[in-house]
Amino acid sequence: MNVLECRDLTKIYGKVVAVKNVSLGIGKGQTKVIFGPSGSGKSTLLRCLGLLEKPTSGTIYFNGIDVYTTKQDLNKLRAKIGFVFQEPSLFRHLTALGNVVLGLKHVLGYSEDEARRKAMEALKLVKMEDWANYYPAQLSGGQQQRVGIARAIAMDPEIILFDEPTAALDVELKWEVISVMKDLADRGTTMLVATHELRFAKEVADEMIFMDQGEIIEIGTPEQFFRSPMTERARKFMAKLLG
Amino acid sequence: MTPIEQLIFLLKAVPVTLSISLLSFLLGLGLGIIFSFIRIYGTVFLKYIADGYEKVFRSVPVLAVMFLLYFGLGGYLPIFKDPYFTSVISLGLVSGANQSQIFRSAIGSVGRSQMLAATSLGLTQFKSLRYVILPQALILAVPGLGSEIALLIKDSSYSFIIGVIELMKHTDILRAATRSLVFPYIASALIYVALTFPLATYLDKWGSMKKRELGL
Ligand SMILES: Nc1ncnc2c1ncn2[C@@H]1O[C@H](COP(=O)(O)OP(=O)(O)OP(=O)(O)O)[C@@H](O)[C@H]1O
Ligand SMILES: [Mg+2]
Repeated sequence: MNVLECRDLTKIYGKVVAVKNVSLGIGKGQTKVIFGPSGSGKSTLLRCLGLLEKPTSGTIYFNGIDVYTTKQDLNKLRAKIGFVFQEPSLFRHLTALGNVVLGLKHVLGYSEDEARRKAMEALKLVKMEDWANYYPAQLSGGQQQRVGIARAIAMDPEIILFDEPTAALDVELKWEVISVMKDLADRGTTMLVATHELRFAKEVADEMIFMDQGEIIEIGTPEQFFRSPMTERARKFMAKLLG
Repeated sequence: MTPIEQLIFLLKAVPVTLSISLLSFLLGLGLGIIFSFIRIYGTVFLKYIADGYEKVFRSVPVLAVMFLLYFGLGGYLPIFKDPYFTSVISLGLVSGANQSQIFRSAIGSVGRSQMLAATSLGLTQFKSLRYVILPQALILAVPGLGSEIALLIKDSSYSFIIGVIELMKHTDILRAATRSLVFPYIASALIYVALTFPLATYLDKWGSMKKRELGL
């Protein structure tokens, strides 16, 4: 059974069809990569799957349960779905540690001590333990993203959604974030990652999903995409990415 | 009376002026926070109420509110016959409308992505507001709140008209006693400056510094 799945998911903003009839599922321990041109609907799809936005139509299943028609407690489910954003999203009034502690304390009900201990573990996993007491404004973009990842994994989510976590970073800073994500994939974390980092996709993705104009155009293994994509659009886009 | 004695007489009224200002500020702070959050995150019906409150109390002069409560409502509810109480309530109500506006713009600059990040962790809307949005909005609001305190210290002088014995009243007593028009008014003006200017300036500086430090 898939941890997270959507069927015929469509999201419309006014007149813009941002996501159109998308169906996909992520099984336990799998890593899937979504890629596609700007505006192809990757963020919208991820926000819908993260239950941060309600689809216009379609169904979302979490562990096989239809989230919206069975009226699940969305906050409970959101706590089980980690989300790492493209833009800086750390809470700016809190230190790195404070950012990770917040959800543990106020969502999962940990005591202050337990929350701090667990948060430090998560910061260690992303190699940010030495920066625990720094505020986001004192950290580089890459460090901020790693803390954002720590904030998500500390909650022990069943799946983590990454929305182009390195897109806003300089080339030198991308790598430290990618390497943390690789570690997570190697440890068997279930993840769905929107990214254009092809090396990451090649090394860890079980499946790559190519989107364009709100639709899934092609699904395949990294090998298939790197050797010969079936569709013309995917071929062109791969060529562009590989420069 | 020597000038020093006159000055001491004026300073004796400062605690009342300050306590009226502080209490009404706190009342306004509570109202401002509640109404600003309602205006941004509330249901349609509550938004109308908050909007109406803000519009009314931003347009009506403090003195009119004071008279309305003291002479109008005082006839039915004896507690409003107490000038000190009525002053605090009137100033607080008007300040709440100003502070609601201050917080609204502060919340606006906290940004949507913070709310989204809080939601993604599974925080309820209330907890997101309480632990993520409000603390940042408070910091962003500090300079505006500084000017608001200064305004309240000045406007607390209206309470003299309904009979509170505060700085303006002491100034008036002094004028009558000394038959001097100049000294009491200049001295009390300087006291008002000393009460408002350093505080407002400090809060403005502190707010800008914090804002820069945290990258808000
Ligand atoms: N909140 C919104 N309101 C209106 N239109 C939106 C909104 N979010 C996205 N869109 C539109 O939906 C389409 C898909 O946008 P989306 O951000 O999901 O694409 P993306 O693949 O994530 O692009 P990028 O690579 O630039 O991040 C775009 O046309 C965008 O303008
Ligand atoms: Mg996007």
